[in-house]
Amino acid sequence: MRLATYLLPRVLAALVTLLGVSVLVFLSLRLLPGGYADILLGPFVTPEARAVIAQRYGLDQPLVVQYLRWVWAMLGGDFGVSMVTQRPVIDELLRRAPVTLQLALIALVLALAVGYPLGVLSGVRAASRRKRRDFGRVIGAMGASVPDFVLGSVLIFVFSVWSLWFRVGGYVPLGVDPVGNLRTMLLPGLTLSVFGVALILRTTRDAVLRVMTEPHITAAVARGASPGAIIRRHILRNAAIPVVTVVATYFGFLLGGAVIVEVLFSVPGVGLYIFNGLLNRDYAIVQAGVLLAAMVFITINMLADVLYALIDPRVGVSR
Amino acid sequence: MTAPLVDIADLVIGYDTGMRQVRALDGASLRIDEDETLAIVGESGSGKTTLGMAAGRLLPPEAKVIGGSIHVAGVDVTRADDEALRRLRHDKLGFVFQNPTTALDPTLRIGRQVALAMGGRPPPEAIAELLSRAELNESERILRAFPHELSGGMAQRVVIAMAIARRPHLLIADEPTASLDASIREKVMSTLGRLRAESGASLVILSHDLRMVARHADRVAVMYGGRIVELGSVTRVMQAPAHPYTRALLTAAAGNERPGERLCPIPGTPPILESRCEACAYADRCAFRETRCDTERPEARPFLGREVVCHRAEAVIGAPTQARQEDR
Repeated sequence: MRLATYLLPRVLAALVTLLGVSVLVFLSLRLLPGGYADILLGPFVTPEARAVIAQRYGLDQPLVVQYLRWVWAMLGGDFGVSMVTQRPVIDELLRRAPVTLQLALIALVLALAVGYPLGVLSGVRAASRRKRRDFGRVIGAMGASVPDFVLGSVLIFVFSVWSLWFRVGGYVPLGVDPVGNLRTMLLPGLTLSVFGVALILRTTRDAVLRVMTEPHITAAVARGASPGAIIRRHILRNAAIPVVTVVATYFGFLLGGAVIVEVLFSVPGVGLYIFNGLLNRDYAIVQAGVLLAAMVFITINMLADVLYALIDPRVGVSR
Repeated sequence: MTAPLVDIADLVIGYDTGMRQVRALDGASLRIDEDETLAIVGESGSGKTTLGMAAGRLLPPEAKVIGGSIHVAGVDVTRADDEALRRLRHDKLGFVFQNPTTALDPTLRIGRQVALAMGGRPPPEAIAELLSRAELNESERILRAFPHELSGGMAQRVVIAMAIARRPHLLIADEPTASLDASIREKVMSTLGRLRAESGASLVILSHDLRMVARHADRVAVMYGGRIVELGSVTRVMQAPAHPYTRALLTAAAGNERPGERLCPIPGTPPILESRCEACAYADRCAFRETRCDTERPEARPFLGREVVCHRAEAVIGAPTQARQEDR
């Protein structure tokens, strides 16, 4: 089947990528100074106590053995147990995943709702008037260059002083109080969306600009099609591929846990969980969290690849 | 006498290239009547594409109309607003482009594109009928195909079908066969000619290939340096060219040489004009050049049943045809 021949190489590549990610996250955690024993027992821990902890969690084994044990357990569906809470990491991650998913969706919807129409508008204007410097470039450059911790801090400062309906921190689950939930989730979502707005706006603008110079657009103009019809029927679809690519990458990045923003706004999602696991040197949490984030990221990009073939009939053929 | 379908008068168009402005048209004048086929011939850079696209104001944004006027079917193209232009293109004009595969939207099926060109949701029989007029059979397979699944010749027939879908008064074809295999060029050209004759529209063929288009046209306009340097009926111009450039085009083209005879490429390159040319633009490449060719801009004048822009037309037409080697 064509879909299979299209997907198989991508799945293989994804497995190799995951293997690389697992090695990287495993090694980089071991490279960090300190370990769970130092966190648990404080700076004046005796070597004997440290050895007990290490033995209990298998940290006294050679790195290769530790790594293989971890991978082997994961193949059996066991992602490890948190040293701090003694509970399976996967349960904790899945419990927090909906929070991160909601945050990611808020950011994505905001970014698409603002970035895509502005990108189309800016691209069409730029192509028809040869204006290379317009609002699209300005917003794109500004949005992409403001770090989320700066923007988040500013928002926290402003809305801590003047609440204006929003609430800083104090997360409420969506199922318990939808309005209260939105009051706390919109600010972190907005913070995350600004980069997305810039990304989507610039990509859409460039894609539209490129499509506008293609001969088939001139041909549509020559047939006397109205500008609105040309944008709707010919430009949007042709310009969609690069936009799908960046949207997939952006969404994958959001789902992997927007660590900084979740920490800033105390949103109890996957990012905050991984961050705390990192502070506690709770290896299993970070390893499983990062690996799952990578899996989600790769899966979403694979879905985007399938989407290309649906948008552009030439994609499946040329490979 | 009624107004001509197209009336282009002293048209000057320049392209802004950042630092300077390059003139693609340097005072081009042309009338096109109803129900005729006109070939506009010249090398790349002669201004033929600019002239053809200007008729529908389909020029890129960096092109500026510096002087002159274009009237097409009563519409003042250089001054009309966007909506009037759109209506003119929609109701009166049809364009056929050089590369049919890029002139079709790669993401839409042919059927959808043809339907759009016909103005929305035509009945299936009407679409099939249109395709068969453009000599496309197997219309079902073609309508379901995407552009990249068609051969160049089929794609060009689709483009032609789309161009005639709304019965335009004027068809403009820019090198319609240049990207096609030699074996099907002649067939596509005759399809175009037949469709033109059936509809009574006028057809303008832009081409660099004087001999090929001459077989399909009533009149020929030879362009050089952004002007029309010779304009007349195909028979007159081909039998006895009065402009040295027309003459050189005929000797440079393959197809009329006798065995053992050498083809003579035209030496030099076309000029790049930055302002109005105050001499003869062709003088540097011309075998008939004399002093006033360098000092005096030749104007169009009637000469033996045609119009020619040359001080030396009498000498050119009188020169023996064997003297091709002199053209150097």
